[in-house]
Order: sequence, then C-alpha cells, then structure tokens
Amino acid sequence: MQQLFAIIVLTWKAALRFRLFLVITALLLLAVIGLPILIKDDGTARGFTQILLTYTLSAITSLLGISTLWLSCGTLARDIEECQMQVVVTKPIARWQIWMGKWLGLISLNAVLLVISGGCLYGLLLWRATKLPAEEQTVLHNQVLVARSSAKPDDVSAKIEAYATQVLNERLKQTQITKADLPEVKRQIEEQAKAEYQLVAPGTGKVWRIKLGAAAKSLENEPLQLRIKFNSAQKSPSGTFVAVLQAGDPPSTKSIWRSEPMSLAPDTFHEIDLPAGLLDTNGVLTVAFGNLNSSALLFPLDDGMEVLYRDGGFGMNFARGLGIIFCWMALLAAVGLASASFLSFPVAAFLSLSILIMALSSGTLANVVSDGSIDASAQSDKTTIAVLDTVIIPVFRVALRVINFARDFSPIDSLSTGRSITWLELGKAFAQIVLLLGGCFAVFGIFVFNRRELATAQGQS
Amino acid sequence: MSGRLKKIVLLILAAVLITGVGTLQKSLNHDRDTLGLTHVEGLTNAPPILAFTTVALGGFRGLISNLLWTRATQLQEDDKFFEMAQLSDWITKLEPHFSQVWVHQGWNMAYNISVKFKDFPDRWRWVQNGIELLRDEGLKYNPDDVLIHRELAWFFQHKMGANLDDASMYYKEQWRTNMQEVLGGKAPNYEALLHPKTADEISRARLLREKYKMDPELMQQIDEEYGPLEWRLPEASAIYWAAEGLRRAAQNPDRIGTSPTEDLIVLRRVIYQCMQLSWQRGRIEDNPYVEGMQFGPNLDMIPKVNDTYLKMYDEEKDPSQKDGILKAHRNFLRQAIYSLYVYNRMSEAAKWYKYLGEKYPDKTIIDGDLNSFPRNLTLDQYAVACVQEDINDLSKDRVQTILEGLLTTSYMSFVLDQDDRAQGLRMLAQKAWQKYMSGVPAERAGALDISFKDLDVTVRNRLLNPTNGLPPEAAAVLRTKLNIPAEKTPPTAPREQSAAPQSNKAP
Repeated sequence: MQQLFAIIVLTWKAALRFRLFLVITALLLLAVIGLPILIKDDGTARGFTQILLTYTLSAITSLLGISTLWLSCGTLARDIEECQMQVVVTKPIARWQIWMGKWLGLISLNAVLLVISGGCLYGLLLWRATKLPAEEQTVLHNQVLVARSSAKPDDVSAKIEAYATQVLNERLKQTQITKADLPEVKRQIEEQAKAEYQLVAPGTGKVWRIKLGAAAKSLENEPLQLRIKFNSAQKSPSGTFVAVLQAGDPPSTKSIWRSEPMSLAPDTFHEIDLPAGLLDTNGVLTVAFGNLNSSALLFPLDDGMEVLYRDGGFGMNFARGLGIIFCWMALLAAVGLASASFLSFPVAAFLSLSILIMALSSGTLANVVSDGSIDASAQSDKTTIAVLDTVIIPVFRVALRVINFARDFSPIDSLSTGRSITWLELGKAFAQIVLLLGGCFAVFGIFVFNRRELATAQGQS
Repeated sequence: MSGRLKKIVLLILAAVLITGVGTLQKSLNHDRDTLGLTHVEGLTNAPPILAFTTVALGGFRGLISNLLWTRATQLQEDDKFFEMAQLSDWITKLEPHFSQVWVHQGWNMAYNISVKFKDFPDRWRWVQNGIELLRDEGLKYNPDDVLIHRELAWFFQHKMGANLDDASMYYKEQWRTNMQEVLGGKAPNYEALLHPKTADEISRARLLREKYKMDPELMQQIDEEYGPLEWRLPEASAIYWAAEGLRRAAQNPDRIGTSPTEDLIVLRRVIYQCMQLSWQRGRIEDNPYVEGMQFGPNLDMIPKVNDTYLKMYDEEKDPSQKDGILKAHRNFLRQAIYSLYVYNRMSEAAKWYKYLGEKYPDKTIIDGDLNSFPRNLTLDQYAVACVQEDINDLSKDRVQTILEGLLTTSYMSFVLDQDDRAQGLRMLAQKAWQKYMSGVPAERAGALDISFKDLDVTVRNRLLNPTNGLPPEAAAVLRTKLNIPAEKTPPTAPREQSAAPQSNKAP
C-alpha cells in the first residue's frame, strides 16, 4: 500500500511540477466562467441553463479527457524513455503497483479537477437562478434543475413477438414461405401488430395506462409531466396537428384533467404539465389522446408516451452525473497507460487519441453496421467493397459493442433535460466502464509493462 | 543598442505599423468597393471575435462551418434546439457574407423550430429569433443583400401575416403590442419620430431605430407611396423591408446578386401581395367587447392598390400571367366597390363602379349572370346582387340568417362608432330584403315570414338582451345611440316568440 501511495504522490508531484494541474484548472475555470459569455441562447432561463449545462459539461469532459490521455501516456512512456523507470523498478515495488499507482494518481487528479470545475459550475448555476424572475425560477426548479424519473406503458414486445410467431406458424401451415423470406414475413407481421398499439386513426382516440409502481404513493399529491412524441402519416401544411389529452379516470382517481386543443408538431417531444391527484389507487395514470386530424398519428412504443415525475434534487443528480464523467476519465487513463506500457510517448498518444476518436465516431460505425456496408450507395467496384465489408463490418460490430459499454450513459443529456441519474445507473457505469473496460486495459497494460525490458536502448536515451 | 531598448523600439514600431495598417485598410476597403473589385463589402461593424475568425481562419472557415452545419442538423433532429441555435450563430459568424446561410438559419428558426413548441409564447420567441438574426445580424454585415431583405419581408408577410401557423394570431397580437409601444398609439406620428422632443418621444424614436432597425423617414415615404398603412400589422413591416431592399438595390446595383431582375421582382411581389391583403384586412378594429384582434378593410388604400395592379400588369413580361393580373384586378374592384358600399362611402363606390365599367365593359360582374355587365346594373343593384349571390337558391331560414347577420354587424358597427358602416349595412340589408321579397310571392313558402321592420327589432332586442346579448357596456352604448331607455329592454329574445307560430303558415 505504501508503495502504491508513493507512486500516487509521485504522479501528483509530476503534474504539479510541470504546472499541468494549474494549467488544466485554469482552462476548466475559463470554460466554466467564459462559456456563458460566449454562448447564445433563446432568451429563456430554461434555454440558457440547458445550453450552459450542455456546453460547459461537454467542455469540461473534453478538456479533462484529452489532458488525461496525454498525461497518462506521458507519465509512463516518458518515465521509461528518460530512464527514470529503471531507477524506480529497482526499488521494492512490483510493476503492477507502479502501473496501478500511476492510474490511481491520474484518477485522483481528475477527481480533484472535476470537483473544482463541477463545484464552480454548480455554484454558478444556482447563483444565476436566483437572479431570475419568480416565474422563470419555477420553471427552472421544476423542469431543469431537478431529477425526474420516468414511467412508461407496459412493454408489449413479448406479446408482439408471441403474436408474430403464432401468425407466422399459421401461415406456414397454409402457404409455403421460403426460408430466405421468413425473417421479412415475420418482420411485417410484427409491424402490423405494433401498429395496433401505436396507431391513433383520424378522429379516434387511444388510451394508455401507465403504472408508476413504488413511486406512486409519494406522488399522490405531486404534479406530473407527460412526455409525448408522435409521428404522422401525412405532412400537415401548418407543420402541426391538433390534439387533445385527458388524464385521470374517475371515479378511481380524485380528479380528471383535460387539455384544450393543442397544436403539436410531429417527430418531437412535448412535455405537458399535469396537476396532482390523477393517479388511481393502484398507482396507475390513465392517459387518453384524441386525434382531431385527418391524418393517422403514430406513437412509437419505446418513447411515444412517458410520465415524468420528480424523484430527487438537482445537487445529488449533478454529483452522480459527474460520477459517470469520472468513470470515463478513469477509462481514458487506463487506455493511455496501457498504450504507454509498450509504446513510445508519441505513438502511445497517437494510438490513444485514435481510440478516442473512434469512440466519438460511434454514430458512423452504427450507420455502417446498420447499412451492412461501408459504402451502401456504391455504383462501381462493388466487388472490392463487398470484400472489404466482410472484414470491416464484423470488426465495426464488435468495436461498436465495446464502445457502447462506455457510451450507453449520457449524463450531460440527462442533467440538461432534468432527467434522473440513479445510483443504480452510476453503479452500472462504474462496473461497465471502470471495472470491465478499464479492467481489460489495465490487465493488458500491466501484463505488457511487466514483461517489458526497460533497460533496452530507448529512443531518447 | 541594448536588448531592452531594442525591444521597446520594436514595440513602438509594431504599434505604429498596426495603426498605419488600420488606417490603410479603410482606404483599401473603400477602393475595392468603389472599383468593384469584390462582390461583397469589407466586413464592417463586426465584433473583434468575428473579425478575427474571418481573417485568421481564412479558407478553413468553410470547412469548419460545414462541420458545424452537419452537427447543427443532427442537434435539430435530436430536438436540441438551444444548442443548435448556438451552432447556427457560429456558422453565420464564420460565413458573414454568405447570405444563404443567414436566410437558411433564420428560416429554420422561424419556421421549423418554432412549431416544435406547443406553447405559443415559445413559438413567438423563435419567430423573433429568426427575424432578429436576419434584421439585426444578417443585414448588419450584408446591408445591401436583396435575398435577406426578401426573406425578412416574407417572415412578416407569411409567418406572421398568414394564418398557416396555429399561433399566427398570437404573433399578430404580440407584434401589435410591440409596435404600439414604439408608435405610442395606433398610427405613427412622424414628426415626433423624426424630431423627438420629449423624453418619451426620444425613447420611442430610439426604440424604433435601434431595436426594430426601422427608419421613420422611410416609413413616412412608404406610407405616402403605398399607404396609409396600419403599422401595427405585420404586412406593413413586410412592405417596409421589401421597399428597403429595393432602395438598397437601386443604390448598389452591382450587389444585387446573380439574377438581379428575378430578385427585384420577388421584392416587388411582396409589396403587391401585402397591399392586396392590407386593403382587405389592413385595419385593426378596436373592439373592447371582443377578446382578440379583429380586422377590417383599409378602404383608404384602394386607389393605391389599384395603381399597384396596373404597375404589376405593366411589369409582367409573361403574357399568360398578364391575363391573371387583369382578372385579379377586376375581382379587386368588385370587392372594393362592395366594401365601399357597405361602409356607406357611396361617392367613392360610385366612382370605382364607373371605373370598373370603363375598364372592363365586356366582363360580367355577378357570377352566374351572363348579362351582368356594368352598363346593365346600377351600383345599388350590384351591391344587393353581391348579397344575393349568397342568398340565391337558399332556404328562407338561411336568407333570414344572412339578413340578420347584416343587421347584427350594422348594430355592432354603431357600438364601435363606425356609423357610416352601420348605415351602409343597414341599407344593404333593407335592399336585399326588398329584392328577395320582390322575387317571391308572399303566399309562397319561400317568402320571409317577417317584415324588415320586425326583423330589425328582433335583431336589436336580441343584442340588448341582458342574459345572452351584448356585454352590458356595449348594450349601454347601443341604447344611448338608439335612444332606447334601459327599462324597456325585453327580457327574452323575441325571435323565438315570433318565428314559431308563423312557421306553420300554409303555402
């Protein structure tokens, strides 16, 4: 433990000696204080806070991420290149302890920097919130500076799957379907079944029953928010559709709420405030939607209808959000150290940054994987592309899965939209990002570093 | 020379050179402008950060703005409008002379993003953002750009003026409030705006120039040329920005763009279309008894709208379009005459009726009547026929409803101090009743069961009914104007009392 602590201290000393700590702290504070001056918003407190949170947290994450990669590559690779490592390893310390010590030193450095910048941002947000008019403050404290959980209607995918299988089997008994056509036929049956749950025909309505589970009891007298999104079968000249909503189901609920006809745009999320007292005795919220248009509207199963409710304050949510960012930094530190364990500083830095860029390009990877080709629109040389696809697509698929382990979490998005980041989510992030992914890099790094012959001629010696 | 002295000398030299370059740059910009060496003006009025990015990034600006554009599109798809607006701001700053960038971003905010919000105040904010982007930023760096002027005018004409967006009435109300604050009343007092004396006048003149970027002198010219306009309505602003674009284009003909004729025609069309709309509903009726805005025709604009049609006709090069303009002109005259008649502006109605007859002697003026040439009808017959068009082939109940509607509007006009209109509508109702009854024998089922006098009393009593009639204040005004004592107001609507027994009359 003493050895480990000694390496942590040495890493800190190096960061302070090279004034890295001070420079990064200054840059982070500049981002936190300077960005609000540069950024433009829509003039509302909500808009400003959302954009401030998004941009500032993104800037903090980027700055810390790049500096962590750089520092982690430098701290090990340069120690080896400048032969200081040869001296260190002669001491009574195992190489895994050196590696882990450096990693812990880096993540503790990150932790301090995150606390400083996060604390400043939090303070700035609260300070600015006090300057707002009372009405804006209410919106801010109810919808943005808050932690809201959500409840959705019951998942019907299993029902759809069972129905599709049953219908398919019946069809197979009646007609012959080739093996190649089977998946497509099944997909079409599933889509038809989905439409039953998703579609609201013109001039009709649809009812959803959303169970709020254990949270229902504490929400009896609390206002809720409905988050809806629909797609339309046809375009409307005005770009919007007229809709009415109703929530509550007397006599099982204390009251009922009906909206005025609303002008709602398709393909976008709408948050609608609901008063308290709309849950029934089983903690179920009944929502009815009336389609007053001549076009059918479709509520996607996954995010078409959702109820949001307050389940905590912004402070702890913000801290958990920073916790997930911290997990990312821990992973980046492990990536940098693992690269530096067998490469020279410039090459390790290049490799680490390449991995980071690849992770940030997961959208492109996902597109390639979903298209099934690196150039689906290729007009010529299709053979070469097909050959390349056979290699690249599986590689991209695996890479995407690995990257998604770390990118499954979106703390910045959650914080800026007032969504709750639960302890469970933070724990899952720690397990997936730090223990699993970081652990893999650490095992690889320690293994390579352990076997590396440090006394061979180095580039700069 | 010691090192320190050398450094000081070099610093002074640098300062002198930078100052010299600064002075020379102005002269160079002026020369390249006057010699026509560049299509775009040198960047002026730019904040330091914008001036720096345009110079320092050079050709890379395009690349960066492309990347930002891609990102902004993605953010918009993800409903992250606030972040997207920030990127739009950076894109326009990277490409300050690329007018399409301004136009696209402004349009995106005013049209695409605004409707994503369910609350009208939020929508209005984004419409304003789009307008401000073009007016306050785009035109600052591209003051002569026709495209930006055209788009700005279009936002006023179409986004705010037309009724496509469910929130369009809200936009109009907000704009009325804003402009009323600037004008200090219903119409602009140009003397006060041009030569403000009191603190209030100075403040309003500054607001007009600095916030709304409007020049009162140009407003006055536009009013004289096209008006009188109702500046509290968005169409007046649309005309203003189109006229300003035309003025700028006339001053800088080399900066109009790649298709100058087309660009200028587009600006002129905005003016023509807005003028047509302005005479039809270019007046705000201040009705304290009704929630929301009510519009009326701006009849004073009729001569200028007429001139506009003639100008449009002369400017149009396409023969097929010319016929369309003439047809539209004829329809305009028909509507204008009817409106003047309804508003009891008989001499003007007669003048324009004569003009219609001279201009289009061989065209019928009543739909479906092949003999309705202007020479065959008097003005009265034409006005009644306009109502008749609505009541022909209808049931007597529907006819009665239309006549009641005319009388109700007539009484409401009395309440709102529009006595001429009230008189005109009443006269029209009477003539329509006479005309209808003269065509139907009294013993026929189609004949009305009620005399005009009784119909008039029925409508009046219904309006004065305290339970479901006009608001008490409006009813009081009507009583005063008609010299009816309050206590004589009947408690119930007499229409039900009288209509029921008469409906059983045998054919």
